[in-house]
Amino acid sequence: MRAKSISARMLLHAANLMVIFFILLPLAAVFIGSIQSEKALQADTRRVLPLEFTLDNFMVILSKGQQKGHIFEQITYLPDNIKNFYAACANSAIIAVSVTFLTLLFGSFSAYTISRQRYKWMLFLLQANIVARFVPAIVLMIPLYVVMRSLGQLNSLQGVIFAETGFLLPYAILILAPYFDTIPTELEEAARIDGCTRFTAFVRIVLPLATPALAACGVIVFIISWHELLIPLILNARPDFMTLPVVIASLVGDVHVFFNLMMAICLLALAPTVILVALLQKYIVEGLAAGAVKG
Amino acid sequence: MPASRFALFMNLPTLVFLALVLAYPVAYAGYLSVHRVGLAQLRRGVFAFSGWENYGRVLTDPLFWTAIKNTLIFTAVTVGSEIVLAVMIALLINQTGIWTSRVTRFLILLPYAVPPIANGLIWTFIYSFQFGFLNRILLSTGLIHERINWTGVPDTALYAVAIPYVWRTLPFAIILVHAALQGIPRELYEQAAIDGASAWRRFWHITLPMLRQILAVILVLRTAFAFAVFEEILAITQGGPGDATWVAAWYSYKITFAPPNNFGMGSASAYILAFMIIVMAIFYMRVVYRRVTL
Repeated sequence: MRAKSISARMLLHAANLMVIFFILLPLAAVFIGSIQSEKALQADTRRVLPLEFTLDNFMVILSKGQQKGHIFEQITYLPDNIKNFYAACANSAIIAVSVTFLTLLFGSFSAYTISRQRYKWMLFLLQANIVARFVPAIVLMIPLYVVMRSLGQLNSLQGVIFAETGFLLPYAILILAPYFDTIPTELEEAARIDGCTRFTAFVRIVLPLATPALAACGVIVFIISWHELLIPLILNARPDFMTLPVVIASLVGDVHVFFNLMMAICLLALAPTVILVALLQKYIVEGLAAGAVKG
Repeated sequence: MPASRFALFMNLPTLVFLALVLAYPVAYAGYLSVHRVGLAQLRRGVFAFSGWENYGRVLTDPLFWTAIKNTLIFTAVTVGSEIVLAVMIALLINQTGIWTSRVTRFLILLPYAVPPIANGLIWTFIYSFQFGFLNRILLSTGLIHERINWTGVPDTALYAVAIPYVWRTLPFAIILVHAALQGIPRELYEQAAIDGASAWRRFWHITLPMLRQILAVILVLRTAFAFAVFEEILAITQGGPGDATWVAAWYSYKITFAPPNNFGMGSASAYILAFMIIVMAIFYMRVVYRRVTL
């Protein structure tokens, strides 16, 4: 590559700064919004950075509305859902962990056989998975609501886990299958000669080799499940079964809730997946690429 | 265990999930769409057959066509700008010897980590007429002198929702393009440089043709997902002002889950949306998704 001229370098730096500004704008907004009081926000509508900082917004959420701090002293109304923050966190975590586990387990079973064996019906299964990825959630949620309602499974964690696992399995299979293609079959064949069954050969030999793909797929599935709104929104309307995104959605349009409080709960909700992405960036990048195009 | 029985055994859980969470609901949505289903019928558990009535009501509802029009505009705007931006930014972070490119590359995946509903709410704060972050920045830097009502005006509201959506979904496209860039043989560029081709010609005659495949992937995937946009609409505009940001998924959601809870009509409209997306999915499978063997 030829060395870049000074003007080209300046242009590239400027372009990068614009992109960085665009990426960080909402993150700056949520952060700055969450560390000030409504009063500070209203006092000067031209000021970008607040004059004084406060952690009261977080405190009121994390203490379930008990410790009001001085911002909320005068406030009598707090949405009940904000007081349910810990329950919502726990629900989100239980659902996301279960969905990730089930999806990886069943997804790797399917992806492995799709990669190894060539039966007509498996081609059909693969195609069904590709098409399934495109089915919009709203189409499934109307009938699922009716079915779950008649089964008495509305407002339950297992209902949401079941629905999300089914919804995410096809995507997981598409991410995992190309990876199993790259694992040589000689190792399993040797294990089979040594007396392993097909299943133990898969569990003992193939799965450990597939750890990077499982990590990539697992973190992507976890993030999607943590972010999922429509499925729990429709299935779990009762406060004790709400997930974090549902709690956040319930604040929309509530004119009595301060922006600052909303930003604080948004920041708390996005922190886990931001940390995951920062730590596991490499795996996510590989997984996203594998799931879109067979590698 | 023979191989064929092993394959069936291994795929049994997936088949069960696909049947119960995908195939059955899709079929059942079809059933609901040709029956009269409201809350009262749901309580009694008896649905009267109504033929094509629900489809007729959806297709003659002006609000449905507004929603379809908005969905098409939203999809064209977001997918179009994402493809252009993804190529530009992928090339940008691919630059060697520019330290800011490394910073961008490090940050590029961050929007992927933000829950869509939180993203929507954050942008509600950014756009807020009175207290919004964007008006603050623009006022304090002197770029504007009057506050702007970004989401309150029908003409701009749909575009105001498109920007947060692009912000959140762009990383996916950038990552695919960036990965594809790594696969372009260096020799092509070296040869072109010897031949004295300008940077623009190298981009036009080498980079872009080599990216054709991945751009097709992004085009189809993003189009399908943008068609079903929901969270940002719910958080930022709830379809408003007026019907300016009613989109297809929002229409199905409101018809079904807001009073008077018409599950039949909701299913019919969701079916129409799904039909449009599935046509794209089949195209994707046949033409774009590479599965060489099998």
